[in-house]
Amino acid sequence: MIGFGCAITKPEVYRAAAEVGIGRAAEPDSEVWAQASIGSICASYNALIERAAQRDDLEALVLVHQDTEIVDHDFCRRIRASLGDPDVGLVGCVGAVGVRSIAWWEGSVSAASFMHRYEDHGGGDLPAFSWAWGDAPPYARTGEVDTLDGFLLVLAPWVVRNVRFDESLGQFHGYDLDFCLQVRAAGRKVVTSEFRAVHHHSLQPFDDPEPWIDAHIKVAEKWDGVLPGIGQGAGTWEERALRAEAVRDAARLLDHANGLRFEARVRELEGALAETTSSISWKVTAPLRLWQRRRARAR
Amino acid sequence: MIAFGCSVSEPDAYLRYAGPGLRLAAEPDSQLLILAAMDTLARSYNLLLDAAGQRDDLEALVIVHPHAEIADRELASKLRRALVDPDVAVIGCAGATGVGSIAWWEGQVSCGKVTSVYTDFGGGSFPAFSWTTPGPAPAEVEAVDGFLLALSPWAVRNLRFDEQLPLGHGYDVDLCRQARAAGRKVLTADLRVREHRSLDIVSDRELWVESHIAVARKWRATLPDPTGAEDGGQAGEAGRLWARRAEAERECARAVTYFRQLGYEARLAGLEQSLRDVTSTPGWRLTEPLRRINKWRRDRAQAGDVDRLSA
Repeated sequence: MIGFGCAITKPEVYRAAAEVGIGRAAEPDSEVWAQASIGSICASYNALIERAAQRDDLEALVLVHQDTEIVDHDFCRRIRASLGDPDVGLVGCVGAVGVRSIAWWEGSVSAASFMHRYEDHGGGDLPAFSWAWGDAPPYARTGEVDTLDGFLLVLAPWVVRNVRFDESLGQFHGYDLDFCLQVRAAGRKVVTSEFRAVHHHSLQPFDDPEPWIDAHIKVAEKWDGVLPGIGQGAGTWEERALRAEAVRDAARLLDHANGLRFEARVRELEGALAETTSSISWKVTAPLRLWQRRRARAR
Repeated sequence: MIAFGCSVSEPDAYLRYAGPGLRLAAEPDSQLLILAAMDTLARSYNLLLDAAGQRDDLEALVIVHPHAEIADRELASKLRRALVDPDVAVIGCAGATGVGSIAWWEGQVSCGKVTSVYTDFGGGSFPAFSWTTPGPAPAEVEAVDGFLLALSPWAVRNLRFDEQLPLGHGYDVDLCRQARAAGRKVLTADLRVREHRSLDIVSDRELWVESHIAVARKWRATLPDPTGAEDGGQAGEAGRLWARRAEAERECARAVTYFRQLGYEARLAGLEQSLRDVTSTPGWRLTEPLRRINKWRRDRAQAGDVDRLSA
């Protein structure tokens, strides 16, 4: 039996995204544990794991964020194929290698089979590079990775019975990398597979950067020297700090420049729009547009 | 006598921006020091200091970047007012307190009537440092923007731009730190200046990063070691936490920048679509010849105006 778990803080988001995807992917005997969040995501996920662990017939536990929508009808077949290797502990659809921190996307991302769907600014879709495998770049592949994106995690029964999310990390951030590292430290594999999901998410990474920064530091401190790469960097601590501060300020500078370029482009486009709609041609052809609108309505 | 100096790295920019500004602000007895740029900005600016320092009657030296255009006829009197305080060494049109690095604008910015003028996207202007909320000038600050630097006679004779910082960024913060380390003051003044900059702000970010590191390293040597280590920062607990925090902030800043850019692109896509919708209507296409004729008439009329003016 493949179980599905979700920790819910916003029921309307769950109903619009995760519930739809689970409904699409679940099998007749699947158990769905959709429960209100009980604090941090780690505490909530551990509660879900405890429930799943009681099932002797468990084949996998699928943990999805409330804003994650699985799109594959044959999702269960695909994860069974990945879990056919008894060493596989975790499966996901977005992952990276060469990861050094909870900003796993700064590593070499090898699979990104998701669509970022946002509602802000009029809404839109941003398909990631392996959303359509036919168009994927040469580095796109499924297989073993350092970490997965936590928006969709598939846990093998062994993981459900032996590994827990670290509740000391904070409310939300870094739990996915930490969990993958625990699984890998226990000798199991973390892999990506060919299934896909839509992540319904605003165009901002987090509301408050401070908890994210805190989690970044905690995970680096916890794993530095335990698994290769994590928390590591070139140079002495002083050299690392100086370079990191410089690159941080350069990123902020780029952000300021992007903002200026955006404002300048908006002015240019608004100017062109205003010029167009106040032109004689536009006014002369107004009856034509009115007639077209009426004709379209009549249809 | 107030002297004006410019190290000309781009003659066109000087002719278009800095030159007219200097003519506007200079007084009849002002000395104009217009010199060709040398291999580094610090060396070029030091030559200006050396030249101005020879004048016994020097009241101040104003150094402008070729892309900085002074738009303030009162500049000389404003500088004289600021320099009444003998402790004042450096004056700028924009600066900040809480400056932790060459990115001085990440502090609390104080700014005169400074405008950033751009030519991209059809051209336009913004109030300078519009991404923050600048406080008014004049104010005592820790560092000022190097686009325009006014130096007191003491500063001209006692400070030098550090030629060991050869990468061209952060020379302004470094000079201001030298002045403050000598017990002198750095101020912003309410000056009217137009900065003709690209919207990219900094063209070579890798060079800027290296400058950031070089200036930070120079001034760390004068501060208590935050790493708490005696062995060059290798083992100290505080040093490790400093690096951890900096690396976390770096990745946070990159993520924020990336997502904000996605937001900008999404909003622009909506506007671009609106413009496409408008200009792809049959009515708009139908009347294209009319617009072409109108444009031809406007261009012809403009050409006629130019001919009349030339005559």
